[in-house]
Amino acid sequence: MAEVFNTIVRSVVVSGAATALASLWSIPLAYTLIFRSRGSVLLEAIIETLVGVPTVVLGLLLYILFSSSGPLGFLGLLYTPHAIIIGESILVTPLIVSMGYRSLRGTAHLYYELALSIGADRIQRMRIVVGQSLPGVVAACITGFSRAIGELGIAMMVGGNITGYTRVMTTAIALEVTKGNFEEAIILGVTLLLITISISVSVKLISRVWMIWRSS
Amino acid sequence: MKRRYAVLVGFTLLLPLIYYMVHPIQPEARLRVAVTSSLYATGLLDYVAKKFKDVHPDVEVLLIPVGSGAALRYAERGDACAIIVHEPTLEKSYLDRKVIEGQRILAVNYFIIAGPRSDPANISRARDVVDAFRRIYDAGERGLTYFISRADDSATYIREIKMWRSAGVSPTNRRWYVECGCGMDQALIMASELKGYILSDVGTYTALRARGRIQDIDVLYNGSTDTMLLNVYSGYIAKRCGGVEREYADLFLDFIYSNPDIVDRFGVKEYGSPLFYSTKLFGDRIVDLWRGLALGE
Repeated sequence: MAEVFNTIVRSVVVSGAATALASLWSIPLAYTLIFRSRGSVLLEAIIETLVGVPTVVLGLLLYILFSSSGPLGFLGLLYTPHAIIIGESILVTPLIVSMGYRSLRGTAHLYYELALSIGADRIQRMRIVVGQSLPGVVAACITGFSRAIGELGIAMMVGGNITGYTRVMTTAIALEVTKGNFEEAIILGVTLLLITISISVSVKLISRVWMIWRSS
Repeated sequence: MKRRYAVLVGFTLLLPLIYYMVHPIQPEARLRVAVTSSLYATGLLDYVAKKFKDVHPDVEVLLIPVGSGAALRYAERGDACAIIVHEPTLEKSYLDRKVIEGQRILAVNYFIIAGPRSDPANISRARDVVDAFRRIYDAGERGLTYFISRADDSATYIREIKMWRSAGVSPTNRRWYVECGCGMDQALIMASELKGYILSDVGTYTALRARGRIQDIDVLYNGSTDTMLLNVYSGYIAKRCGGVEREYADLFLDFIYSNPDIVDRFGVKEYGSPLFYSTKLFGDRIVDLWRGLALGE
């Protein structure tokens, strides 16, 4: 039972860290994409396609990179939670960028000019533009988190599903299925769903409260 | 309005085409066989199924690769008609519950212990397999090596647990004891990456080794002559299965059983040695060996 609890906590922490890491570069990327005129259609199409990249393919690429005979083998990242975090942050980047891009696009130019007119510098301009579409950006991050916590391929390939170290909920579910313990797998699956939903709801509530608090 | 009808008519015309694409040929019967992944991954069963189709062209054999535990559950739920598994203890409990029947012992091979070439636990000098496991335990406790465990209730894992118990030691929760909860292929790759010891069936090891995936480990203990390390693959029919599918399930298992050359010759050209052996050499003794494994003697 303790191990199940640890697995749940590990899942949330790993996917949360991956999402946070990904949003660090994804939101600025979405922001710069808006003010790009040339080739934006092509970039948009590429990013939207990458949203659906099969997780095992990404997992395999990372495995080859991190393998002790691979180019990044000296880092010793294979079969660690850090490898899963790196993999998942790459996985959710296209998703956060494309969703963030869509939510920023509508209002970005208006608030950008507004920010310019009050003499904001580059960083401040970005903060104003992103801040005005915060619910959309938060929604993008939540979707990224759901994708990260629900993915199996990367966690299996570069994490290795090691008990007490890299086992996350999806790999635990896959393991129970191969054992033939379908009931346990269902229970874990429902738990995964409930956790994801409750985290999404609480993040949305917090961001809404924050918006109200800031505007008052 | 007219356009809506045109779309509707067009779509209706499309439906038979889609149906045809999905079902290009309608075989007379299909046979669902859930097989243990170690047997499937080597390609033996695809090969057998192809040979079977030459004799019975009107059957479509659908192979479902799953773990032994899941295969037995499939049989229980009626989602597979025949199963091929290698977990005598679990098989016996399902046989006792009368969920499966018609056992045929189809193939055997054996388990090996692979490990880093430098062999820090010195198991190549072990007297027997129990001694080898004790040596690994000592080396692990001294921080010299890792042991990679499947930890997935597979036949290999159950055998490994039996070995630790025979050696009188318990490695669970030790830092050097890595429970990966993964398939044999991935566990072997992990053992090679971490330069640790592992218990594996010889078939998966040989196939993976030939593909150049696990160059950092070698076979250090060979269990070919040890009945404790015998790996027995049995075929069963699910009790819930009936009708034409059941007839073909019987035919399929009998086909493998009565053509031992298929099993014996498979992989010899590719890997230099067979991956599995038919029960020809064992004769009737194999049933006793299976029972011994099932009862955990």
